[in-house]
Amino acid sequence: MKKIMSLLAASTLTLSLAVASEQFSMSDADRALYQEMLENNPADIFVEEGSELFDEYVTEEALAKFLGVDVDNLPQVIATFPRYIPQVDEVLGLDQVLQAVMHLNGHKPFKLKSAEMFEMLAYAKSLANDEPIAIDIHANKKMEEAYKLGEQLFMTKRGKRGLSCNSCHSKEVVGLILRTQPLPDLGYVNAGGTWPAYRMTKSSLRTLQRRFQGCMKNALLAVLPIGSKEMVALEVYVTNLAKEQKKSIAIPGLKR
Amino acid sequence: MHRNRKLMLGAGLLAFSLSEAVHSADLKSVIEMPDASKILKKDRLAPPKKYTMPKECITTDPLAIARGEYIFHNLNGKKAKKEPPKGLTKFVMVNGKKKPKQYGNCVACHNIEGAKGGGNVGPDLTHYKQYFIDTGVRSYAYVYQQIADPRVHNPNTHMTVNLTTGLFTPREICDIASYVVSEKK
Ligand code: HEC
Ligand code: HEC
Repeated sequence: MKKIMSLLAASTLTLSLAVASEQFSMSDADRALYQEMLENNPADIFVEEGSELFDEYVTEEALAKFLGVDVDNLPQVIATFPRYIPQVDEVLGLDQVLQAVMHLNGHKPFKLKSAEMFEMLAYAKSLANDEPIAIDIHANKKMEEAYKLGEQLFMTKRGKRGLSCNSCHSKEVVGLILRTQPLPDLGYVNAGGTWPAYRMTKSSLRTLQRRFQGCMKNALLAVLPIGSKEMVALEVYVTNLAKEQKKSIAIPGLKR
Repeated sequence: MHRNRKLMLGAGLLAFSLSEAVHSADLKSVIEMPDASKILKKDRLAPPKKYTMPKECITTDPLAIARGEYIFHNLNGKKAKKEPPKGLTKFVMVNGKKKPKQYGNCVACHNIEGAKGGGNVGPDLTHYKQYFIDTGVRSYAYVYQQIADPRVHNPNTHMTVNLTTGLFTPREICDIASYVVSEKK
């Protein structure tokens, strides 16, 4: 009897997985709004503003020069970010390179977490739209280290609930429901290629590292600052997941 | 003369590499690269810990069960709508600042009687007493340990750690466990 009940208990466990997944995170009205926004992404305005800032403070010529490439090759190079930057001997995000170029152009760089930087980053990254994501985690030792650090941070449980990114984004839980939210496969949803994106629930333009901060805050992991070696490393890791899925850059994204 | 020229060449090379170094230091000071290592160090999770269930932990006291239920179904004191049962507050003082009290939000991953929007990352805990406790599949001590620190049962668990992190007191873990194993209508 005990054995039968235990078997029964075991099978209810598996059954419950199938039953509960019938929930949806979006109402039909939300879905309609999402469709509408797909055709008319509110983030387009922000990208447009970013383009004005970019032309005033950065320019394609100066960015290409800093990266040591022809202007014509900018899209392919932008598709390799985060990448190793020899001038500082570090792996940097594109936003940090924009700071460097602003400085070299004689301007005070925007703060990484400023709305101006989010907009300018969105525009700069959109120059690479439709380019396949081309991050190269084997480019050199620093890139390899950044990837390893990113992977390690992704897997490490910490914070007040002892969770890691992997607790909610591992292959084992993808598609399962966390309080009405299906857990996304970060490679498959192309997180690396679709941020900066417009977030409908926040009514604003957000960057990938800003999105990481959102997950950290929600799950009670101490929030890491944008631009830290660790955040860039996480971006390297997550961007590589999108590359493995053969995704291309598509800025600005549109997110729930 | 000969020697002098060599010196000058050397000085020139030095000046060149110096300007390169200044350049790089200069760039490093305008690019934001904040240090996160201290934040991470403070946020570290202690290794898995085995616990002995306190005496009189599992109870049928309706108030304790109500507190456990409240912790199970809510995320924190800011988000929670209903008033908490006696013995539980919505806000706590942390370093002299009033902060929302964090609850278990177990419902994010588990379905259970009366769950609204229950998740399925973890097993369905509906009829837990009937299926798991009454059959002897699980003991009270197992449930206590699972909630306190599930890594002892499964090092790769996706479940939250609730006692080793200091998020709850042993009594609160007992309240939650009492709710999970209670007879529900
Ligand atoms: C407690 C669960 C949980 C944890 C822990 C967690 N996430 Fe998330 N994450 C989610 C959920 C749920 C969503 C989808 C939310 C939505 O659809 O709005 C999400 C979405 C994301 C997205 C956006 C995906 C897209 O649509 O482009 C990124 C990027 C992301 N998470 C990265 C991380 C990183 C990095 C960490 C660790 C620092 C992390 N997450 C930790 C639950 C979690
Ligand atoms: C982020 C997801 C998540 C959260 C939050 C969570 N759990 Fe779990 N829980 C799991 C998973 C997954 C399992 C399955 C065992 C494993 O993988 O370690 C589990 C297993 C359990 C079990 C054991 C069931 C059995 O096999 O007898 C109990 C009891 C339980 N959880 C209670 C809770 C309580 C109470 C809370 C809140 C304080 C909670 N859980 C929060 C994911 C979660």
